[in-house]
Amino acid sequence: MKRKNVYPFTAIVGQEEMKLALILNVINPSLGGVLIKGEKGTAKSTAVRALAEILPEMNVVKGCSFHCDPADKKNLCQDCAAKLEQFGRLDKNLCKMRVVELPVSATEDRVVGTLDIEHAIKFGEKKFEIGILAEANRNILYVDEINLLDDHVVDVLLDAAAMGINTVERESMSYSHPAKFVLVGTMNPEEGDIRPQLLDRFGLSVVVSGEHEVEQRAKVIKRRLDYEDDPQEFLAGYEVEQKDLSEKIIKAQHLLPKVQVGEELLILAAKIAIALEVDGHRADITLIKAAKTLAAFEGRGKTEQKDIRQAAALVLPHRMRRRPFEESTLDLQKIDELFVEM
Amino acid sequence: MHNKQFFPFCGIVGQKKVKKALCIASINPKAGGLLIIGEKGSAKSTLVRSMVDLLADCQLINVPLNVSDDMVFGSLDMEYAIRSGKKKFLPGLLERADQNMLYIDEINLLRTDLLGAIVDSSLQGYQQVEREGLSYSHLCQYSVIGTMDTEEGVLSPQMLDKFGMRVAMEKEKNIENRAQVIKNVLVYEESSEEFREKYQAETVALKEKILKARDCIDNIEISDAIIQLAAVYCTKANCAGHRSGIFLLEAAKAIAALQERLYVLPQDIEEAAEFVLPHRIRKNSAQPQNSEDKDNESPQQEQAKNQDSEPDEEQNQEPEQEQRDFPPVDSENEGGNNDASRENETQDNAAPNDSETNLDEENQPENFQAQMSEKVEDIDRFFSSLQMKVDFPVNTKMKQGSGKRNLTKSKLKQGRYVRARLPQRKVHDLAFDATLRAAAPYQNIREKTICAIQIKSEDIREKVREKRVGNTFLFVVDASGSMGAKMRMKAVKGTIFTLLNDAYQKRDQVGMIAFRRDTAELILPITRSVDLAHKCLQDLPTGGKTPLAEGLATAFETIQKIKRNESNLDPIVILLTDGRTNRNKQGGDPIEESIKMAEKFNQAQIQAVVIDTETDFIKLGIAKKVAQAMQATYYPLEQLSKQNLLHIIKQYS
Repeated sequence: MKRKNVYPFTAIVGQEEMKLALILNVINPSLGGVLIKGEKGTAKSTAVRALAEILPEMNVVKGCSFHCDPADKKNLCQDCAAKLEQFGRLDKNLCKMRVVELPVSATEDRVVGTLDIEHAIKFGEKKFEIGILAEANRNILYVDEINLLDDHVVDVLLDAAAMGINTVERESMSYSHPAKFVLVGTMNPEEGDIRPQLLDRFGLSVVVSGEHEVEQRAKVIKRRLDYEDDPQEFLAGYEVEQKDLSEKIIKAQHLLPKVQVGEELLILAAKIAIALEVDGHRADITLIKAAKTLAAFEGRGKTEQKDIRQAAALVLPHRMRRRPFEESTLDLQKIDELFVEM
Repeated sequence: MHNKQFFPFCGIVGQKKVKKALCIASINPKAGGLLIIGEKGSAKSTLVRSMVDLLADCQLINVPLNVSDDMVFGSLDMEYAIRSGKKKFLPGLLERADQNMLYIDEINLLRTDLLGAIVDSSLQGYQQVEREGLSYSHLCQYSVIGTMDTEEGVLSPQMLDKFGMRVAMEKEKNIENRAQVIKNVLVYEESSEEFREKYQAETVALKEKILKARDCIDNIEISDAIIQLAAVYCTKANCAGHRSGIFLLEAAKAIAALQERLYVLPQDIEEAAEFVLPHRIRKNSAQPQNSEDKDNESPQQEQAKNQDSEPDEEQNQEPEQEQRDFPPVDSENEGGNNDASRENETQDNAAPNDSETNLDEENQPENFQAQMSEKVEDIDRFFSSLQMKVDFPVNTKMKQGSGKRNLTKSKLKQGRYVRARLPQRKVHDLAFDATLRAAAPYQNIREKTICAIQIKSEDIREKVREKRVGNTFLFVVDASGSMGAKMRMKAVKGTIFTLLNDAYQKRDQVGMIAFRRDTAELILPITRSVDLAHKCLQDLPTGGKTPLAEGLATAFETIQKIKRNESNLDPIVILLTDGRTNRNKQGGDPIEESIKMAEKFNQAQIQAVVIDTETDFIKLGIAKKVAQAMQATYYPLEQLSKQNLLHIIKQYS
């Protein structure tokens, strides 16, 4: 199958926050994904699909359906672990990180995996047929209109997202495999709420809205027309930019483990979490991680206060609501006060 | 995934109580399992999963939410049956869990029938299976560990009672500790090996301690005096049934064993009580004001205190506090006063929809007291635990849509596959696993082909799917001037707010019509976004005359429209009015017109509830008449505030 043309990520006008949030997650998949809220037609889906093009390559175990990381010996799937034991080593393969889509209409068995019917009939044996969660391991799991997802599918997502493992106990199959994915969801808040527990699983959230400046809007239209006119030529025009961004991401990935976080920043994050009365510890942990990733993206080896400030805008807004119906507004002023104190 | 490594137990900052409870549960399965309650992101699951390192001779078995019947209870071994033509039982999760621990994350989201079976088997210690032509029974002794966040609903009190222990996660307020949490996570993610190494010694020591305790748990002696003491605790807490006493003693045994003591001391009972009793204390009209000073207070003092306090408000005070610091000495009189009302409640609970009837303490807003003193036009959050209960006599109707209120069998290929059955009509939704199991034993005698399995029509099974379907509620709100008076609107908004809160948890759809001045207006079309409804409610102005008939007419039209588009929806009308209608467009008598309109609702079999907000000294009782004409359930507003339950009875007349 010939690859379909995808509108280039770097050609998206504006929406800087959304683009940044997506890039940060690519650099550091442990951030916990991003929820993009916005009205229709604000390039939400376009951006996520375009992201696939700039995703870096990664090492995977050859022939593994879960794309296990050969270096991460503690999180291998059953097959790879058995192979490692038998041969003492694993064959490597380079593979691009992917965007795996979970359609709203997906059934539970397709999501978690199920009994392989063909195999069962032919050989009278049980075999596990992998589902979307298996494909999504170490990749990006994209759910468009995540607020419309069926309740029982959300339950499954919650389970997997919490543990990084998909445990299947259904249809005669008892199986578990790694399912660590970057969850990217988009939603239009007018169409219904998202469950609080699912909301909390998202590391970052951004709100997108249409451009308000006439010039910017005109630019959006022009680019789109150009693209539709001759996609090949349009893509060629952005090749350099796309490549630059990919390289920047790879550099940041290498730098990330070396980025320093000072003790005073940890204290600051804790103070912010207490001042804003967020639930649990995810907010402060993600805040620090996001700040670290921001520093890495900018090529710095040390996390600074301004990184925390910038990360706060991405990490905190969706965690501000402690009760249903409360306006979830982020009191940036409160955070600024804490900064002054420092 | 047995090679998977987790965050080390000892590397988790704080949470001493939860850690202790987990140790008790792993030492003594007879202590009845453990329920951990905590807000999201408070390391509940991390804690439980880290137990793996501490369990030497036992496993932690994870029960996913998508688990199906056959996997829980066990089923026919298909592969064996094909090979040998004989039936053999393939153990399910429950048998695999024997002598191990079962872990259920988000336990409040698991199907209640399965949860019931899982917990019951653990209490009985054995399981009897009668499935797929097999009869089988086996021992199963295990602790069930469940974690949950109460934001998405709570467990029913019966279920709660089956858990031996309950413990709440503590909120970390200390800045240094919080910073330490972040640091630990960062270090762990960078190099899990190194981090685990750091806690290795501590982990091994604890592991050995637990192992030793497990070995000696059966030798621990309990004196009669200790049994007496346990009984006293349970009586004081006004616990229902006798499970509490047994759990209390078993938990105390584990505590003693952990300290390598072969006898139980009163202090063990006291410590165990903190885990075993809090969720069993029966709700009394008043609770001690400050639960911090537990034992130091004599019953007389408490009683004096209780007399000062206003009963209704007390119940809702700081539920968090209550969970943590259970006061073991409760005044006995409290229970006596309220026994009668308690009886009623218990009976209510026995009804099929029980989980929804209950007002649970965890469910309530934290700073309830602060909410009390709000401005007039704001939303009164007084009825903080008002819930809607919808009763359907027989729910045979197939429903589409999603929500959490009612379970319905879904005929679409949607919803959770719960079990398989013999097909009744043409098969659309083949339950392949069940079909294979049905066919498997006969493969030896069936004709051989290239396939390993021959399936005949008598083997075919189809899937039964279940889906929770929410209700659709249409609020019809009187926003006239008369409602604005005497804070009535505040109470009305408060009522709607709590109903919306309930709708939010159960994923219902809501819509809103307001009538005032000359017209009635659909201010919110039916939507799943309860949030939006809340915003509409907040901005709802009052003033002008009361066109009740108009309001009813608009509601009627709206419902007809909805029914035409989506015939499966069965909206329920909730009318809030004082009935003082004084305006009619057509110029007829406003009251007569309203009643005429109301009769139309009855003819169209639209389900309705009328909440009468009339509080004036002289009551006109129009709302009641309207309710009668609609064949609606009628509630005066004052009654609702006392009863905390809006019972909607679905009638198909």
